[in-house]
Amino acid sequence: MMMDLEGSTEKSADFTNTDETSLLVIIMDSNPAQRILRENPHVLTQCVDSVIAFANAHLMQKAQNKLAVMACHSKLSEFIYPGPGKQLDVRQIDGQYEVFTLVEKTIKQNLAKILTSETSTVITESLLAGAIAMALCYIHRINRIKAPGLKLNSRILVVTGSGDSASQYMNYMNVFFTAQKQNVVIDVCALDQHLSLLQQGCDITSGMYLRVPQMQGLLQYLLWVFLPEPPIRQKLVLPPPVKVDYRAACFCHRELIDIGYVCSVCLSIFCKFSPICTTCHTVFKIPSLGVKPKKKKLKI
Amino acid sequence: MDEEDPKEYRWETGYEKTWEVIQEDDDGFLEASVADIIQKSKRKRQALKQGHAKLGMMRHLYIVIDCSDSMSGQDLKPTRLLCTVKLMEAFIEEFFDQNPISQLGIIIMHNKRAEKISELAGNGRKHAKAVKALNRTSLVGEPSLQNGLELALKSLKLLPSHASREILVVMGSLTTCDPTDINVTIENLKTEGVRCCVIGLAAEVHVCRHLANETGGTYNVILEDSHYKDLLFQNVDPPPAAVCLESSLIKMGFPHQMATEGTEDPLTMCMCHIDSADEGSKLTTGGYYCPQCNSKYCELPVECRSCGLTLVSAPHLARSYHHLFPAANYKELPYEHQSAICFACQKSFIADNDKQVYECNNCKKIFCTDCDMFIHDTLHTCPGCATNLATFQMSHSSQ
Amino acid sequence: MAETAESSTNVTLIQPSNLECKNLYDYLKTRSSAVLEKLYNHPTICLAVYRELPELGRQYVIRILFVEQPVPQAVVASWGSQAYSKEHVYVSKVLTELSVWLESPIPGGLTGWILSSTFKRNLKIALLGGGKPWSMSSALEVDSKARDVSFLDSYSMERWECVLHYMVGSQQQEGISADAVRILIHAGLMKCDDVDGSSVITRQGFQFLLLDRQAQVWHFILHYLDTVENKGLDLAECLTFLFQLSFSTLGKDYSTEGMSNGLLVFLQHLREFGLVYQRKRKAGRFYPTRLALNITSSQSQALLEEDTPKGYIVVETNYRVYAYTDSNLQVALLGLFTELLYRFPNVIVGILTRDSIRQALKGGITAEQIIGYLKQHVHPQMLRGEAKQPLPPTVVDQIKLWELERNRLTYSEGVLYGQFLSQNDFNVLREFAHTNGHLIWCNRDKRTMVVSKAGHDDVKKFWKRYSKANSSPHNLTEA
Repeated sequence: MMMDLEGSTEKSADFTNTDETSLLVIIMDSNPAQRILRENPHVLTQCVDSVIAFANAHLMQKAQNKLAVMACHSKLSEFIYPGPGKQLDVRQIDGQYEVFTLVEKTIKQNLAKILTSETSTVITESLLAGAIAMALCYIHRINRIKAPGLKLNSRILVVTGSGDSASQYMNYMNVFFTAQKQNVVIDVCALDQHLSLLQQGCDITSGMYLRVPQMQGLLQYLLWVFLPEPPIRQKLVLPPPVKVDYRAACFCHRELIDIGYVCSVCLSIFCKFSPICTTCHTVFKIPSLGVKPKKKKLKI
Repeated sequence: MDEEDPKEYRWETGYEKTWEVIQEDDDGFLEASVADIIQKSKRKRQALKQGHAKLGMMRHLYIVIDCSDSMSGQDLKPTRLLCTVKLMEAFIEEFFDQNPISQLGIIIMHNKRAEKISELAGNGRKHAKAVKALNRTSLVGEPSLQNGLELALKSLKLLPSHASREILVVMGSLTTCDPTDINVTIENLKTEGVRCCVIGLAAEVHVCRHLANETGGTYNVILEDSHYKDLLFQNVDPPPAAVCLESSLIKMGFPHQMATEGTEDPLTMCMCHIDSADEGSKLTTGGYYCPQCNSKYCELPVECRSCGLTLVSAPHLARSYHHLFPAANYKELPYEHQSAICFACQKSFIADNDKQVYECNNCKKIFCTDCDMFIHDTLHTCPGCATNLATFQMSHSSQ
Repeated sequence: MAETAESSTNVTLIQPSNLECKNLYDYLKTRSSAVLEKLYNHPTICLAVYRELPELGRQYVIRILFVEQPVPQAVVASWGSQAYSKEHVYVSKVLTELSVWLESPIPGGLTGWILSSTFKRNLKIALLGGGKPWSMSSALEVDSKARDVSFLDSYSMERWECVLHYMVGSQQQEGISADAVRILIHAGLMKCDDVDGSSVITRQGFQFLLLDRQAQVWHFILHYLDTVENKGLDLAECLTFLFQLSFSTLGKDYSTEGMSNGLLVFLQHLREFGLVYQRKRKAGRFYPTRLALNITSSQSQALLEEDTPKGYIVVETNYRVYAYTDSNLQVALLGLFTELLYRFPNVIVGILTRDSIRQALKGGITAEQIIGYLKQHVHPQMLRGEAKQPLPPTVVDQIKLWELERNRLTYSEGVLYGQFLSQNDFNVLREFAHTNGHLIWCNRDKRTMVVSKAGHDDVKKFWKRYSKANSSPHNLTEA
């Protein structure tokens, strides 16, 4: 009697849309120190245009979809959509959907503000981990204020041409694990170099990682690989995840190692036994005959 | 709950109206008051958490759960035991999330006996299963605290000297039925450097207080279930290292999945499921290979069964770093229009709702209450410091 | 002499005529491709159609939006993963039906898909800009008496409830225009009483009341659009305007400048139903309300904004229903399927019983609609719990079971064969019908059997052949 409680619903019911809302936070690296920007500053315009078109394509998917865009600049990171302060009052100027015009204008205006205020020519690294941390706080707030019972899929897309630096390692790991815990997917679109740290983040949060082979087709790459939301991705054939190398690099020589020694106090990794930890200055006792007692076998 | 002042006797102190700590709100509810107490203690604990303290990172924790008659009480909903089981499942998950290279074991006390239901091991799922099975245990007789402690001590004793040894007791009963003098056991625990924490579900018991005080642990009695959760989850953070804890370098393996170029992975069996009855080992291609003896495992972290090497991946270690380098604490300030929006979440401050704001000492950015909590509980990275080049370099060089 | 007597056992299936809810896709699919092509000339409609496509379809369209040549069908098929090939077939069908993409030959003998050029051009305009601005966006000076969102919400609510109140015939309304009544009757939601000419609500009308607000508006507007051409208005123009409205921003004013006379009439109609707010007929500006926004989206509008209307119904596992409302309309609607127990100034208490549900089911309301109504107006408190379902599952299942117990009979058309002369004949024929799956029922003692209508021809042929082959003196005669 209980078998057909659902009744004979429409045959197409399972193909139609789900009422899930999707929040996308795009982090755009606008740091002028990026190699591709130093060689050709016009790449930034192209990159911004592609990102805006992509952002609007995201909003076009569903009426409920939400968007936020951040710029990660040389000295600071900022939300450029929805920017600080009051919303712009935008009237339609052409056939573009009003909301899309608003997105485009706001992003361009706020970005211009950042670019003009920053004139230093010193080469600095982009602090992407910090930008992701801000994005996570933002997502956390949206999750808090959303209507109860509403399902919100959040993800972060990082578009960057910088390399990744080991100096941010700790911050990166913190944001990746937080994202994993909050079910936030991190997607990374690398414009220039291969980013092994951010790739680990994609792997940890089951996001997509793509290194764009050529800048010309950026929008098309974004639309193909990053537009589908995580729930739809399984229905599409997308670039398969590559196996990520999770081997540790030792703190002493920065080399990848298979077997290493870990300080029991601060968890620093060394490739050889040394009597003192260089990180926390703990003095270790010399292992007896170099062999660790096998605890499993001892207890009965 | 406060520590006793040893200088004067209890009856010499002033008359203390303990019930006045808890205040009813306008509608006559206590929830707000309890939430306030939890919130305050959280901040207090947060304030104590400052970097560069020596912590016991490789934890070996035995959870000793009371499964006696008294756990069938219904003051926690639906019963004390069911509530405990539910919280414990969440605790185990969180414990391994935050302490990936630590180990856990579970002991239950009933009918004056102690019984180990789950060996000291690093696999959270096994423990969760064992805890879940407690739903069907019959709650009989009295607990024996001494037997429980002795059983835990027996296996903790054998651990290498760099391991941090801990026992967490959940006591529902107000009595314990022990075969010999429990003070001897407590003395033994103390000499072995085992830290014992106790959570009481009913009322304060002297022997538990004594146990916790002697071994450097904490003793708390719960107010209600959310307070219970808070107390339990305090044990997720690693405790300060015991004095007798030796530091040493531990040999670890970092297996990698990489297949050799151009060849397909051979079909192999993994060592983790080789003798488990309910899900047998299957032939699969991927997996992690021990760099020392080449045994295959399907997940990390794990201790190699054939050569005893601890196998981890770099992110596992990184997961624990935030205990050692926590985000700096923020300063609580009254809201005086320091900033229009919260730096992290972009929430605009409204003077009526946001009475307090928080300022980071390094980057001087202003945050809202929710972000303060989120940053220190989960994120462990100050977004202000991490996005500002000057402060980033400063905080980085100090580490 | 064997005789097969034919008699139809119940030709018409006794199914209550239910309210048919079309979404945009169902509506457009019935239009001819020429009409669609004309509609696709407007970026707004392209945008609306795009959003109504299935998820996979949206990905396909966006992937070939910037491709000028046709894409081989095999290539498109390879985009979806194998496990979802059924969905791929469905999506291709939808895209073809809506003339979003067309089949086109590729040199080399393959067939490929190419987006309809009008659709492609106008979707690009909506997404990236270019083209002409939409008709209602002329510049305006700042409104001295600008209306905020909460005002618009209460205004639209009041206007729409007027229509609903009229339908349930409650006394408190100020009445609605004859046009609106005509649409209600046209939509079959009300019918003219033969006796005194007054209109009364129909079974579909009750079902309509239980729909969510968005679906009500859409259903109503669809029927309004059916009548639009009789009024001398241009359907494409109205539809375009409607979608422009649906993509406008709440709380913003728009200009009526440059609108044709037909559109101004249309605007006045929308004003009556509360889809737009205008201070005066000739104000030159109007504000769209929440009713007009995202008119096509069939999903419930659980948006992130904090100001969306809140639900008010609490259902307990003991079948009690508490509704925090003082609206007579809502009370009346709840009364359709609950037994009301108490009424207080701000809350009513009722109970779901077998009788009360059956009463509603007899009135043609389905269990799905009742559950949908409760779900949609559920109190936020019910959503906060850990359980995924807002309503107690026992209550939901029980309502469905109460519906099922009314549908214990299934009807199938059939032909009765009887008056066999021998048991052997009967057995042979029964065996044949059974093995071919045509047998519905048989009775060995009375030598009668019922064969499905579809199988009747086969069985008849078989019987003719059988009786000839046996060269028996029997002749087959048909009654």
